[in-house]
This record gives sequence, structure tokens and C-alpha cells, in this order.
Amino acid sequence: MGPRREDGYDGYPEFAAARAGHLYRSACLLTGGDTHLAEDLVQETLGRVYVRWGRISRVGNPAGYAQTVLTRVFLAHRRRHSSRRERATEVLPDVPGPDAGGDAPLRLTLLEALGRLPAKDRAVVVLRYWEDRSIEETAAVMNTSSAAVRTRCVRALARLRLLLGDALGEYARS
Amino acid sequence: MPSADHDPFEERFAGALRETGTAFATDQQELVARGETRGRRLRLRRRAAVAGGVTAVVLVGLGGALVLPGGQDGGGRHRSVADGPSGRATSAAPGTAAPGSSVSSVSGDELVRTLEKLLPKGHFSDAHGRGTDDSPFAQVVYDDGRGKAAVAVSLNRVPAGSQEAVQTTQCPDKVYIAYDSCTSGKLSDGSALMVLKGYEYPNKRSGTKLWTAELVTPTGEHVSVQEWNAAAEKDAPVTREHPPLSATQLKTLVSAPEWRAAVGAVPVDPRMTAVPSATPTHHGSVPATLARLVPRGLEIVSRSQSDDYEFGYVVVDDGRGASLVQINVQRDMRDVENQLFGAGTRTLPDGTKVVRRKQSGEKGIAGIVMWTVDTIRPDGRRVVISAFNSGAQNTPATRQAPALTMKQLETIATDPKWLKLG
Repeated sequence: MGPRREDGYDGYPEFAAARAGHLYRSACLLTGGDTHLAEDLVQETLGRVYVRWGRISRVGNPAGYAQTVLTRVFLAHRRRHSSRRERATEVLPDVPGPDAGGDAPLRLTLLEALGRLPAKDRAVVVLRYWEDRSIEETAAVMNTSSAAVRTRCVRALARLRLLLGDALGEYARS
Repeated sequence: MPSADHDPFEERFAGALRETGTAFATDQQELVARGETRGRRLRLRRRAAVAGGVTAVVLVGLGGALVLPGGQDGGGRHRSVADGPSGRATSAAPGTAAPGSSVSSVSGDELVRTLEKLLPKGHFSDAHGRGTDDSPFAQVVYDDGRGKAAVAVSLNRVPAGSQEAVQTTQCPDKVYIAYDSCTSGKLSDGSALMVLKGYEYPNKRSGTKLWTAELVTPTGEHVSVQEWNAAAEKDAPVTREHPPLSATQLKTLVSAPEWRAAVGAVPVDPRMTAVPSATPTHHGSVPATLARLVPRGLEIVSRSQSDDYEFGYVVVDDGRGASLVQINVQRDMRDVENQLFGAGTRTLPDGTKVVRRKQSGEKGIAGIVMWTVDTIRPDGRRVVISAFNSGAQNTPATRQAPALTMKQLETIATDPKWLKLG
């Protein structure tokens, strides 16, 4: 633990240091690989958590709260910048380089496919399959009904299945 | 895994998503420092706003102004600005709560009590809820004497008149969701209502039924009621043949004025009241173009309803059973061309690359196959089309092979009409 702070933000630096990386990775998936936007979203999220830290730290589960804020900040951003296409065609995802290990071309394909989904579908997919949230938790984060989450999830998977084709073949488990 | 259905694609996708997400890295120290700086600025602005005696806080973030009522910061919390007694949401007439109205917040306990009051006589247990400050809902286990059943109500707002508002109360495509019946229509006050009798699991596994009623008022208040024929949504045995409330009772419950008054206390995002932007000018949608390209002799049984500019489907029947055909059109996919068009790729005289794939058995559904033709034009426009030997992805095979041959699928995918879209 770091030194105690006397300004009511005790524990915040440790929390931010521990969670920033995960929030950033979540944001990268939400943005379909737009790392600059992902950084901006995480900064905004951490800023909002900072402002409310006193209450959040008392209530518990600040990590869950931060993830909820991130999702809502992302959706609010998309509403402000919504366009007919989910991804401007000239913007390509920033993919971690070969030194990140694994299959870089596959990651590019996956991020491309994610970027093609409507923002809310993307948020559902990230919450369900990256954050391992239940349908109900996802619905609560997104301020919607679980029925709507269910429908979005099924549609998003159908679309991803079509977009990704055989690209995920190597992840097959017997 | 989130789903117990063991869909192989779902598992592969989750694995690939984890690997992709994990690979991202950045300078965390800088990120943390900038986050705290932003927080300090935010705090200063909030203090300034409070000192100025205003009830709305203006936040500037992400390049746009964001005005939220009652000191809400977008993180889902809300402080009521009402002067009246706190707790009860009685200051808004049913269905008339205007955006930004100063209705007192309603607690989760109050929502639970309202739900219990509105349900027919019975025994209640395992009640829990969350108030209108953050994603309000109420859920109880209700027993009318014929078996325990979970019943839940959730409240939120959708942008009035938006596509989301319309879709919420539109019966979903059976291509995606299995259900027994669905009705949708308008109430006398202009609210849209949908009552759907469906299942908890897409493949009807375990017999858990999920019946829902969705109501959206003309001003965007959204009330959602769900009921199951089990005491919990998942991992609980079926206790009765059907959920306890009939379609008529669901309609009565979802349209109760108490809920609309409570939605009035849900924080308003002023952006949601914006008039939806007009549909962009186009040379036709993907579903409409696909429908025009279906070969003669095939009857179109159904098609996707939305005017999507990238995705669409039709269900066709050649007299030997239904066959789902999906298509996706994307621009400038040259960056992933090598990934998608590897072994087995042919190049047509005009430079279009084509690859054909036959896949089988996803989702553990008996005998289902998916035939795909993937194409990419020299300008990077990708058209990928798939056909199933079933009218939906979630129902067993109804025929040996899809209703279209690979050659027919390729003819559709390479048609010049796709170049005229958008």
C-alpha cells in the first residue's frame, strides 16, 4: 500500500494503478482497437471515479463501478459521434505488435469485426465475453432490459460468426 | 463462460477476444496521472457549479458538452432536485413525466412493494430491487399456489421516437430468437406494447420459459416485465408448465401507471431527447438488395426488417423447406484481405477474389450446415454471404443442404448492385 492520503482519496492511487491496465484493455475492445480513444475513455472514467471516490470506496466494488462508468462513457461518446457507419473506413484498428505474442493478424480481423458492430452490441459482447458479466449484470450496466441484452447478444454473435468465418478455427476446443 | 449452451463459436470467440484484449498495453502511470488530473478538474467544476447555486452541472469531456440534471455525473447516480418529501414518486402524473422532471427518486424497496401490490394475490419471497438512482428494477419470487416463479420489472428511458424505441416493442425475428407467440401494438395513450412468450435459452433447453412485456411511452419511458416458470432465471428447476401471468395480466402489469411515475425519477440524459437524425440518402439497403437478387423459383418467406446498410438476411423456400441466407457488405477491407482470402482463393477476371467454405454443426444443433461465399473487390469492398439448411440458426436442419447452391451464392455476392450501395 502507498502512503495514506489525508484528502479523502485514500486508496484511490492504488485502485487506479491496479485497474487502469484492465480498463484500458476493455476500452480497446469497446473501441474496436482505437487506442487513442481508448486512452481518452479511461482517463474520463478514472476522473469520474476520482470525483466520487469517497462514496465508491465505502460502498465497495469500485472495480465494477469503474467498468460500468467506462461502458457508459463509451456509449455516450458513440451517441455524440454516431454516424451511419460504426467505423469510419479510413480508421484502422491499432493492433498490438508481434512482440505481444499470439496471432496478430487474427487480432486485427477480430477488432475489425468488433468495430463493425453497433456500439451497444459491442458493449454487450465485451461485457459478456471479456468481463464475464451475466445477462442481468450487463443489462444493469447498460440501463436496459435483460431481454434486450439477450437479443443484442444473439444478433451480435450471428454477425460475428458471419464476419469472422474460419478465422477463429484455431480456437476450437474438443 | 456466460452461456451454458456450449456454442463452439461462442467459445472460440471468447478465447480470441481474451487473447486480443490481453495483448493491449500502454503507459499505465501516465494514464493514471491523466485520469486524476481530469478528476481534479471535474471536481473543481462541480464545486464551482454548486457555489453558483445551479442545479445542473456542466461537464466537458471527450470534446463535447454534457449537461446532466441534479448533479449526476453519468456514472449512473442521481441526486433528486425535488423539494417535496423524498421517497415517493407521486409528483408526476402517469405517462407525463417530462424529460428533466424533478421527480423524487424511488428506492428499490419501494419498487419491490409496488410490484407485490400489483401482482395478484400470492406468496412472495426472495425480493430484491434497486432504486431509480441507478438501473432500477424489482424482482420477487411469486407463488400463486401453483409453483414458484421469478417475476421482474425494470425501468429505463429510451430516446423518444428513436429506432431503439421502435425495436424495443417490435416482435423479434424468429431467425434469432425462438418463441411461441408475440404480439405488438399501440395502447390508447400512444404507448407501444409487445408481449412475447419465449424461452430462457435460445434452443429451449431445460424448458425454462421466459415471458416478457415491453412498453415504451411516446416520451420514451420504458417499462419491462419478465416472468419465468422457475424460481430463478437460470440454474433453477422448472416449477410449473407456464409462467404465472397470462398475456393479459402481463399487459395490465406493464402498463400500470405506478411504473411510469417511477420512470419519471430515472435520470435524464438530455441528448436522448434529440430528434433522431434523418436516414442518409442511399441507393438501397442491404436487405432490399439481397431480396432483389434471390434467384427465381425461390420464395422469400421473410427478410430482415431494418434498413441496414451492411447486414441483412432473407429466409427462402424452394418448396423443400426454409433456408436462411445472410449477407454482410463492408467497405475497404484490404487490410485484412490476406487473413480472409488465403488457401482456395480464386481471382475472377475483374480482380474480385472469391473463396468458398462449407461449415457444419455449430451450436450443437442437429445436422445444420452453413455454406459461405466470401468475396472482395479490388477496391476492398467485401461481400460475404452464407446459407443454412434451416430457416434459422437456432433450429435443427430442415433439409439436406441450403436452398441455394454455392454457384448461386457466388452470383449474388459478385453482383454489381453491391457496388452501388453507399
